[in-house]
Amino acid sequence: MPSRKTITRRVFIASAVLAGTALALLPQGAKTAIKIDLFKTLEAVQEVLFPRGLAAPSAIEFGATAYLANVSTHSSFLASDLRFLKHGAQELMNEYNNFLTLNPQEQDETLREFVNEHEVGENWVSFVLYFTIEALLSDPIYGGNKNESGWRWLNHKAGLPQPKVPYAQNLKGEVI
Amino acid sequence: MTYDVCIVGTGAGASGVAHKLVEAGMNVVMLERGGFYKEEDFSKDEIAYCKREIVTPSFEDAYHTIESLRNGKWTKKSTRDTESTYFNGNIVGGSSNFMSGYFHRMKPKDFKLKSTYGPIEGANVIDWVSDYNEFEPYFEEVERLVGVSGEITHFKYHEPRSTKNFPYPALDEHPISTKIDDACKKLGYVPYKTPRAILSKAKGERSDCYYSNYCGSYGCSSGAKGSSRASLLQPMLKKKNFNIITHAFVKKLIEQKGKVVEALYVDTKTKEEKNVQAKLFIVAGQAVESSRLLLNSKSKTFPNGLANNTGQVGKNLLFSGGGIGSGQFDENSMALKELMKEGLFVNRSLCDWYFYEEDGKEVKGGIVDFLFEHANPMTKATKQRFENGKVLWGKELQDKIYHKLNKTKQLNFEIFNDWLPTDNCFVSVDEKYKDAYGVPVANIRTGAHERDVEVGRFLAKKAENVLKEMGAKDINSSISSAPPPNLQAGGCRFGDDPKTSVLNKYCQAHEVGNLFVTDGSFMPTGGSVTYTWTIYANSFRVGDYIVQNQKVWL
Repeated sequence: MPSRKTITRRVFIASAVLAGTALALLPQGAKTAIKIDLFKTLEAVQEVLFPRGLAAPSAIEFGATAYLANVSTHSSFLASDLRFLKHGAQELMNEYNNFLTLNPQEQDETLREFVNEHEVGENWVSFVLYFTIEALLSDPIYGGNKNESGWRWLNHKAGLPQPKVPYAQNLKGEVI
Repeated sequence: MTYDVCIVGTGAGASGVAHKLVEAGMNVVMLERGGFYKEEDFSKDEIAYCKREIVTPSFEDAYHTIESLRNGKWTKKSTRDTESTYFNGNIVGGSSNFMSGYFHRMKPKDFKLKSTYGPIEGANVIDWVSDYNEFEPYFEEVERLVGVSGEITHFKYHEPRSTKNFPYPALDEHPISTKIDDACKKLGYVPYKTPRAILSKAKGERSDCYYSNYCGSYGCSSGAKGSSRASLLQPMLKKKNFNIITHAFVKKLIEQKGKVVEALYVDTKTKEEKNVQAKLFIVAGQAVESSRLLLNSKSKTFPNGLANNTGQVGKNLLFSGGGIGSGQFDENSMALKELMKEGLFVNRSLCDWYFYEEDGKEVKGGIVDFLFEHANPMTKATKQRFENGKVLWGKELQDKIYHKLNKTKQLNFEIFNDWLPTDNCFVSVDEKYKDAYGVPVANIRTGAHERDVEVGRFLAKKAENVLKEMGAKDINSSISSAPPPNLQAGGCRFGDDPKTSVLNKYCQAHEVGNLFVTDGSFMPTGGSVTYTWTIYANSFRVGDYIVQNQKVWL
């Protein structure tokens, strides 16, 4: 840790909104209107948030959604975080049920509207971005940063030794 | 079997004393809440160590309740809801595995703040019942055994030393350190070369530092960092009179006829309850958890918790005053190739205002450490997703991330000044809040004295002056009374009077003759430094005392 630890376990919300936790942002008794496929929705949103650039790999290319599908099943992934991911995706699809059929530019405009007009919009998008960037720069053993595409784009040298197993387990994959 | 000594915890405070007792031939067992990671188990996995904090208990297992002042009222919040943790590395070696190892000694005046500077209203400042002279040989022993590297910088408040130099030469430095030196010279400040608990040369089984660029927050893969695990515990593992039981969460110490006879613990893997008998018990689970254990160890003789019949356990908890600040550097301040060099240390501090003059009178100040923002790419990149408080994405975000990681470097400073002990900072327990094992969790009231922030701001100005002189951009600092959860001390003060202290001069409980507390809990004030060096030194000191007097207990 830095000699002074100031960063708490989770920092994902605009510092201006010190709501603290995803849990606090969940409205009581949120109603579900249409049935959505969480990871399909996330895949579309992440590709808008992180499109292919001149050198940058796109979210699909570096495996942003595959990463989330993987890490969200581990016990260290907070249940409240997963609920908030689902909640925002549901709200987005409730408001814009044709979102998946729009072209990239329309999707981008829709997301900007969602951020400006929906109460969870900005927090949810920044939250999805948080995990998108985790996928971009985490060790490939977690399912993102495919072929080290994130690291290569950013000329990043991985710290050594790199993990051989995820979640600081031993080499047999057991919790130490 | 009955051990000679049972030690709760395996961090710096537990291991100094363990080293002394095992060397003296006593039969010692240590109980550690977490597992045993060795050099080969560590990696630079930002997800595991920095994001998911795998080496701290999960919120389902354990948490704290934190009381802070909101609109004039003490308001309690569970860390399960705030998702912040006051655990700092629950594996063999404790938080010393994850420290950065900025090692500054306390100064002679730190041991007698009250008699030197007089009382401060609203603060419970007292003199220590020990002094610098008694600690000096132990500071020196830490330099050799744990390993401190560096080069002595002479400045007006330098503490006396019994040896001329540090036993290990200074680590390699980043070119920016010269820029700090130049700026300091122009400003008339002394650029103080920061000693580090990191080996620049191999020692026994421990290799020298390999400049991995990922040091603080990570376990060390070469053994260079002076964790208690690498420096003291691993070298003793082959001894027959030494044993570490891992995954052992101690729920309670059992007292009979005024003595501790047993530690009751739960095996966190099997959930089985087990116990250990010993003649002497030593508690060192980091300040908050040590007070919690005593408060939860109630008995007929000690209805308010072990060694707590005068109600002092948990009181006068300390964190560290101060805060952080930063400035940005790019190709305008330094050739990019030089600036972006990785792995090298900054190792510069400002100590000129450890004491300073205010209104014609000397007052207690503190120190500033300079360091680069940690290399963690995810942490750096995720911070880029806001611009003027608005979320950013697409090409704008990508350009910003690329620029941040390839074209700039952030030099941080950290301020350390005394966290004055007050009645509003303490540990208590409440039957209403229990962990997964049915044990009341620690409640931490985190009130700070207003003076802490004043001193912090004074020091931040000096650090900002250096950054300005260096040509940094976007200089800012954030000084607050928010407690840094990893810098804990106090809660079981040592002193001569059993009415106002829990421990005597040798960290033995006044009320329980075969109980010692050897982490940072004993400190009535902590100095304006990170606590690890003092904790190690004191642990060695208490170890010598126990060895010399072992007949009393064995």
